Amino acid sequence: MKIGLFIPCYIDQFYPIVGIATLELLHKLGLEVYYPPEQTCCGQPLANSGAEKEAIPIYKNFVRNFSNFDYVVSPSGSCVYHIRENYDLLEQTNEVRKVRQTTYELCEFIVDILKIDDLSIEYPHKVGIHQSCHGLRGLKLGNPSELIAEHYSKVHRLLEKAEGIEIINLDRNDECCGFGGTFSILQPDISAKMGKDRLEDHMRNGAEVITATDMSCLMHLEGIARRHNKEVQFVHVAEILNSNHL
Amino acid sequence: MDRNKILYNIQRNEIVSIKLPNPIDLQITGINKLDIFKKKIPQTGGDCIEVKTTKALITYLNEHFTYATNFREKEVFNEFTATYPTERLAILKTVIIDGQFGVAENGSVWINDSNFPNRLIPFITEVLVLCLNSEQIVSDMHEAYIKINNDITGFGVFMSGPSKTSDIEQHLVYGAHGAKKLIVIIYHENVVE
Amino acid sequence: MTQHNQKASLFLKNAERAAWHDETLWMVRQKRDKAASDVPEWERLREQASQIKMHTLSKHYEYLTRFEEMAKNNGVQIHWASTATRLNEIVYQIIKENNASKVVKSKSMLTEECGLNPYLEKKGIEIIDTDLGERIIQLRKEPPSHIVMPAIHLSKEEISELFHNQLHSEKDNSDPTYLASIARLHLRQKFLESEVAITGVNFAVAENGAVVVCTNEGNADLGVHAAPVQIHCMGIEKVIPRMSDLAVFIRLLARSATGQSITTYTSHYLTPKPGGQMHIVIVDNGRSELLKKADYRDSLKCIRCGACMNTCPVYRRSGGHSYHYVIPGPIGSILAPHKHRNNYKDLPFASSLCGSCSNVCPVKINIHGQLYRWRQDISKESTFFHWKKSIMKIAGKILSSNTIYNLSGKVTRWSIIHLPRVIIYNRLNIWGKDRELPKVSGESFKQWYYNKYEKQGQNGQK
Repeated sequence: MKIGLFIPCYIDQFYPIVGIATLELLHKLGLEVYYPPEQTCCGQPLANSGAEKEAIPIYKNFVRNFSNFDYVVSPSGSCVYHIRENYDLLEQTNEVRKVRQTTYELCEFIVDILKIDDLSIEYPHKVGIHQSCHGLRGLKLGNPSELIAEHYSKVHRLLEKAEGIEIINLDRNDECCGFGGTFSILQPDISAKMGKDRLEDHMRNGAEVITATDMSCLMHLEGIARRHNKEVQFVHVAEILNSNHL
Repeated sequence: MDRNKILYNIQRNEIVSIKLPNPIDLQITGINKLDIFKKKIPQTGGDCIEVKTTKALITYLNEHFTYATNFREKEVFNEFTATYPTERLAILKTVIIDGQFGVAENGSVWINDSNFPNRLIPFITEVLVLCLNSEQIVSDMHEAYIKINNDITGFGVFMSGPSKTSDIEQHLVYGAHGAKKLIVIIYHENVVE
Repeated sequence: MTQHNQKASLFLKNAERAAWHDETLWMVRQKRDKAASDVPEWERLREQASQIKMHTLSKHYEYLTRFEEMAKNNGVQIHWASTATRLNEIVYQIIKENNASKVVKSKSMLTEECGLNPYLEKKGIEIIDTDLGERIIQLRKEPPSHIVMPAIHLSKEEISELFHNQLHSEKDNSDPTYLASIARLHLRQKFLESEVAITGVNFAVAENGAVVVCTNEGNADLGVHAAPVQIHCMGIEKVIPRMSDLAVFIRLLARSATGQSITTYTSHYLTPKPGGQMHIVIVDNGRSELLKKADYRDSLKCIRCGACMNTCPVYRRSGGHSYHYVIPGPIGSILAPHKHRNNYKDLPFASSLCGSCSNVCPVKINIHGQLYRWRQDISKESTFFHWKKSIMKIAGKILSSNTIYNLSGKVTRWSIIHLPRVIIYNRLNIWGKDRELPKVSGESFKQWYYNKYEKQGQNGQK
C-alpha cells in the first residue's frame, strides 16, 4: 500500500507538529508513506469564498502531486471533504476520479481501510471531542445529532479505548465552532461568539484537552482561549492517536 | 393573461421527470392504538375521558355538560344553520360534537361538515367536547387519509388539543383564539352493561 | 463589512437577549429532535417528501391545471397573479367588489413577500394580522424575525408595554397568559366584524382542489368561517398531487417546526360556505423563473417549517432581522439572491457551511450546497466584489505554485514571530479582534521533512 501524505497549507505553515504526528503514526502502522514535496493546498479557502474558478490551478496541482498512490491520507476533514465533493469542477479524468475516491481523512482511513480501532493509546486526560462539521456531516465520520439514525463516531471509536482517557459529554454535541474559513473574517463577531460558546461548553463540562480532526477549528478555538487566558489545551487527534505504544 | 404567462413559463424548463413514489402504508399492527391515543391527548393540552358504554356517555354528558349545546341531538343540529349570524354563535360556551375518528400518533380527531351545522362552531366555542367511538382510532396519518378516502365534504379538520400559542417568549398559553379547552370523551359502542 | 454582519454585530451587543435567543431556539431544535426520533421511519419520510415535491416540480403544469380544474368544480374562484403587484391588485379587487373594508389575515409569508398589507392600507382597507406573533409585530410596525415565531426577538415586557399603549392592557403586567387573553378579546372582535378573511396555504391538493392550512391558534378558521368572503393565497410551488401525500407532509411539518406531532388545527378547505365566496390566488412572483434553474430549483420544495433557522448556529446568534429579507435564515439566504442579487449578495456568506440545515430540512433541500453555489455565482458577477476577484486570482497563483507558496508562508511566519504585537494586532487584523494568532515556530512541515528525509535522499521510508 503506497500512501501519499497530504499536509494542508495551514498545518504545514502553522502546525507542523500535526503533520509530524500523522507521519509518525502512519509509519508505526507499518505503511510506506510518501510526501510529495510540490504539494501546496486543496483550494478550499478560495472555493468557499466563491472563487472556485480561480482555485482550478490549485486543484490541478493537487491531482498532479497525488495521482500515483493507493491512498491519500490527510489530517484534515474539511480538505478531504472539499476534494471529494467539489473537485467535480475539474474534467473527470481517470486521474481526477481516482484521487477523489482514494483521499481519506486520517481517522476514517484507520477505521475503514486499515480496519483498526485500538491503537494502544495512552492518554490520561479529560478530553472534549469537537466534531468538526465537514468531517462529521460531510465525510460521515459520525452521525450528527439532527439525523435520526443509529449513533456512531469513528473518532470516538479510536479514542475511547485509550488508557486513562475520559471523554467528556458536551451540552451541544456537534454545534459548529464558527471558523468556517473566510467566515471567520467576513463575520468576525458571530464567528467569535460561536467559538466562545463552544469553548465554554467544553470547559463547563471539564475538558482539559480539546481535540478535533480539523486544526482549523482548533486554531480558531485556541485563538479565543489564549485571548481570554483559558487553561485548556488544544491537541489535534493525530497527536493523541500518536501517543501510543505501537 | 397572468394565467397564460405563468403556465407558459412553467412549461419552459427542462426538468427530468421523476417518478411519483407510491403512498406509504405503514400497516402497523400489534399496538394498542387506543392506549397510545389516550396518552397523547394530554400532551396536546387536551383532556381525555373514557366511559364504558353509549348509555354511560349520555349520562356523563348530562351530568357534566348540562348546559352545553349538544349537536349530537338532531333538534339542536337543525336549529343552527350554515348561515347563522356570527353574533349568536359567539355566545356559545360549551359545544358537544361527534368526532369521526382519532389518530393515535398525534391525538387528533377528524371532524367535518357532517358533524356541525355551521363551520364556525368548533372554533368559536370556549369549550369543545368531542365524542369518539373507541373503535374509530387509526394509528397514523397514512391510515387517516386512507380512511377519509377523499370524502371530506366541503370542509374538514384534524383537531389536536385546545387552541394554543407560544408567541410570547415561548411561554405556552391555551386558548389563543379557538377553544380554550378540548375534551375528548371515548365511549365503547359494543359493550353491553 | 457585509450588511448581515453589521446587523448581527448590533444584535450581539445585547448579550443577554442574544443568549436567550440562541438558547430558546436551540430548545426548539431539541424538541424537533425528540419528536422526529419518535418516528422510526423519519428519514424515510423525508426522502418520500423530497421525491413527491421533485416529482411535482417536474410535472408542474399538469398539477397546477388539475388543481385549478378541481377547485373550480368545487365552486371556488381561481385567480392567477404573475407578480407581487398583481396579487395585491387581485385581492384588492375582490375586497372592493364586495364593498368590504374590514379584513383579517392569518399567517402568510407569501403576502408578506408581496407587500399586501401596505398596499391595502394605502387604499384605506383595515387589514389585521390575526396570528398573535404577527399581530404583535404589526402593532410595532416591524417585519417578522422568524417565519414560525415572528416575535421571538421580543421580550414579554416589550409586548406588555406595546399592549398597554395600543390595547389598553394593565401597565407592567407581562404575564403571558394575561397578554394572550388581551389579544384574544381584541382579535375576537375583529373576527366577528370581518368581511374578508385572507389565509396562506400550506398545501394545495391537485387530486381534489383542497387547500390545507395548519395553525395552532385557530385564527385561520375563525376568519374563514366568520367572514362571508375567504381568499387563500398560494405560491405555485404549494401544489402536491394526492391526499395520501398530505400524510407525509403533515407528519413532517409540525415536528420539524415546533416539535409537536401535529398543529392544533389542520384544516382542509374545499368549498365555500353556503352563501359565501371562496377564492384562491395562485402566485408566481419569480417562482417559475426559479423552476428553470437546475442549481436552485430544489429550494421550491420548501414547506416553510423554519427548522433550518432553529438549527443554524449563525441564525440563532444574529436574529432574523439581520437577514433583511422577508424569510431569514438558511432558506432565506438561498431564496433572497434569486429575488435581487445585489441587495442580498451578503446572505450566502452569512454561514459557516456547517450543513446542519440540510439535515433537518424535512424535504431534503441541499441548503448548504446551494449556499456554496450562490457564492460562486455571486462572485462571478464582475460588478460585485471586483477587488475580491483580484485578490482571489493572486491567492490562486500563490497557492498553486510551490515556490511562491513556500516564500509567502516564510514571510507570514516570520512576521508573526518577529513583528511587535502592536503592529500585528492593528485594526486591519480582523482575526485578531477577538482571537490570538497561532503560535508559530520558525519551521514549516515541509522544511522539517526536507531536513529529516529528503536531505538524506529518503522519501517514504521510515
